[in-house]
Amino acid sequence: MIYLLEDAINGILMGSIYGLAALGLTLIFGVLKVINFAHGSLLMVGMYAAYWAVLLTGAHPYLALVIVLPLMFAFGYLLQAVVIQPIFKAEREVREPITVIIVTTGVWYILDNLGLLVFGPQYRNIQDNPLRGKMIEAGEMLISVPKLWGFCAALVTAALVWLFLQKTRMGRAVRATSLDRDAASLQGINPYRIYNIAFGLGTAVAGVAGVALVPFYNVFPTVGVLFDIKCFIIVVLGGLGSIGGALLGGMIIGVIESVGPQFMTATWTEAIVYGLFLGFLFLRPSGLFGVKYDW
Amino acid sequence: MTLLELHRVSKHFGGIRAVEEFSLEVQAGEIVGLIGPNGAGKSTLFNCVAGVFPPTSGEIVFQGRRIDGRKPWDLCRMGIGRTFQIVKPFASRTVLYNVTVGAFAVTSRLGEAERWALEVLRLLRLEDKADMRAANLAIADRKRLEIARALATRPRLLLLDEVMAGLRPTEVDEMVAVIRRLRESGITFFLIEHIMRAVMALSDRIAVLHFGHKIAEGAPQEIARDERVIKAYLGEDYGAA
Amino acid sequence: MNASTATATSPLRPPGSAWPSRAPLLLLLAVALAVPLFVRSATYLHILILLLLYAYLTTSWNLVGGFAGVLPLGHAAFVGIGAYTSTVLSLQYGVSPWVGMIVGGFLSTLVGVLIGLPTFKMRGAYFALATIAFAEGLRVMVENIDRLGPFLLNGPRGLQIPPLELGFGRFMFAEKEPYYYIILAMLVLAVGITWAVSRSKLGYCLAAGGEEPEAAQSLGINVARVKLVAMAISSFLTSLAGTFWAQFTLYIHPKSVMSLDISFEIAFIALIGGRGSIAGPLLGALLLRPVSDFSRIHFGDTLPGLHLVIFGGVLILVMLYQPRGLQEPLTRLYRRALARSAGMRERG
Repeated sequence: MIYLLEDAINGILMGSIYGLAALGLTLIFGVLKVINFAHGSLLMVGMYAAYWAVLLTGAHPYLALVIVLPLMFAFGYLLQAVVIQPIFKAEREVREPITVIIVTTGVWYILDNLGLLVFGPQYRNIQDNPLRGKMIEAGEMLISVPKLWGFCAALVTAALVWLFLQKTRMGRAVRATSLDRDAASLQGINPYRIYNIAFGLGTAVAGVAGVALVPFYNVFPTVGVLFDIKCFIIVVLGGLGSIGGALLGGMIIGVIESVGPQFMTATWTEAIVYGLFLGFLFLRPSGLFGVKYDW
Repeated sequence: MTLLELHRVSKHFGGIRAVEEFSLEVQAGEIVGLIGPNGAGKSTLFNCVAGVFPPTSGEIVFQGRRIDGRKPWDLCRMGIGRTFQIVKPFASRTVLYNVTVGAFAVTSRLGEAERWALEVLRLLRLEDKADMRAANLAIADRKRLEIARALATRPRLLLLDEVMAGLRPTEVDEMVAVIRRLRESGITFFLIEHIMRAVMALSDRIAVLHFGHKIAEGAPQEIARDERVIKAYLGEDYGAA
Repeated sequence: MNASTATATSPLRPPGSAWPSRAPLLLLLAVALAVPLFVRSATYLHILILLLLYAYLTTSWNLVGGFAGVLPLGHAAFVGIGAYTSTVLSLQYGVSPWVGMIVGGFLSTLVGVLIGLPTFKMRGAYFALATIAFAEGLRVMVENIDRLGPFLLNGPRGLQIPPLELGFGRFMFAEKEPYYYIILAMLVLAVGITWAVSRSKLGYCLAAGGEEPEAAQSLGINVARVKLVAMAISSFLTSLAGTFWAQFTLYIHPKSVMSLDISFEIAFIALIGGRGSIAGPLLGALLLRPVSDFSRIHFGDTLPGLHLVIFGGVLILVMLYQPRGLQEPLTRLYRRALARSAGMRERG
């Protein structure tokens, strides 16, 4: 029983990091109304950035945030401004720019395979870092320290994003744009700049997730695909565009993944996650917290 | 014969009462105008009739059958056509293609659908633009295309949502003539319009919507004289249009 | 309708205008039929068969991905269903793969409709996500299942088809030529179906629903339903390719017939070639398959994934500058050349 509890807690912790990664995705979707298929790849970029930052400077893994955060924001901002925005402008009259989804898959393929070309297929991890394999004992349970920090990072990031959206002028502009792009632009908001910012922010959040993962997770070129599909499932579970939904959805997946193997082979739990996703899609497509849109 | 009956139709969005207890009858062969200031609930009412969303309460009856809550494609097959305030052409396709899509509501054969579509285009004087991409049309032609497409489904009732907006005065006159011609062919019209000159000239009767409530109904001359209407609406706009 | 309205179509469609636009396709077909007479190398024939296979897959995908205006990213699931159905039926029950092919087709149709049913009513992103998740979920499950009731799936190890009985009835040949002609025939069939759909009520309704769903609905089109029909046809056809693949390679495993890479390559070929057009998938396969084969053969060891970087880059460039795919500028060039030659003939 105690093992189950231990697994459940570790599952929630790990799941909150999934949720953190998905938070970036849901943020971008909320504003641009486009699924960013390159999101996992952006996470991969963030992980490599954190990995190299730690390896080259020898600093504490979490200090990498100082470099990774602005780097990822700039990367996301530029990606949207240079690659995605022209398509939005060209398809201004199209209600649902599928072309944009497609372009993000192109970005996905380029980033993942560039990662493969540049860094090679090998799994990398930071061997000697103060967090690696570190556990705290709570009674008979062992709780992973880096996952616990990841959990905290997820909560803090979600809270900061929420505060930004609710309390700042820029955040209000972002919300206005997400509600009605045309109305927002009539109010003097430049929607494309908001898109850039939202994309940069979503990418930066992926960077935070990358920094949280690097101390205990392997870095490899296709790590993004793993998270990509998890993130998709999480945002649908939680409701596309919902911050709280992303965290909760992530935790659900995390718990299934860590508790499941007690009862079945680990790969079966993966199948259960997909089953859950499809179940939601059929029965409650708007997710746990999603708004029911009149699409 | 009464073609369309709205019986105490209300539509609420959360706390917003967009339309409140609206009743109206449209006789076959009539042109009925619906006017009111921006945000009065006109488009919401249209969307209820066209089946975009069901009314919160009330009944809508078309040709003696309850239709509230029915889906748009069913209503189209029953004989209700509509245009959109913000035109929605199939922009990447030709004008003929656009209208042929509508014509497929009455036939399943491409040749027949195209012939009928061409006939409709001729009726609206769009035939020389049949092979143009809809995206390249000027606004007046886009509005015509919108009507042509709806017309191709052979509606008995046509809901026109601001088909004159954005047109030049001469184009408005042409559009008025087009609608009159169509009425003579037996089509009934229920239209939202902001351009007073047009709606006054066209309509047999006009209903006025103000903050979701119907505040007046009657012949154009009566509406033009109605105190409440003038206060709510006409006073500021009549002269300008 | 009187006679004058019937002839009124003529100024819009000059007589015989359909013929020159079909000419390149027919020329292509003639070349394709003759190819095995000249290409004797088994390696090149293999590459050409894969090219045709991908042209077929993309053409099938195009029915829903191109005409219906949605983005399916999990068509590998149907390839897998087709491959496994016919293989299991033939290995365990001795059923001819041709029969298994059809059974798999109907199974895929059912699955395709089930995915489309909840998702076609929602924003396109949901459909794209659902198809990916379904395809991946199915792959993971097959990897975990050794035995599904009476059916032996063999999990990640997959199934081998022993080449015991050759012949058309067993869908098994020693030479590559028969496979070549079979996939060519399948491609011609798929292109024919696409052509027929594009000129039918279904095709018009799909295009309309894909572009402006609300307007389409107001014109009497049940958009979700026509998309389902397209999805049904598309998943059926895609599934047939799975059986072909199984019989051609005689070995299937979840990664070979259900991987995400297959789904994405199909979508990329369609998008770069030009989705929603008949020539687009063919053009895309013609242009991209050689790139990926060439890069795999020459850089497979030194620069793995190079062709995917190229794919991604080309995809982005095409979307930026030719969002309707490469078929559009080529068609325009062809039409212009045609007009010029026609003009010269008139003058001469």
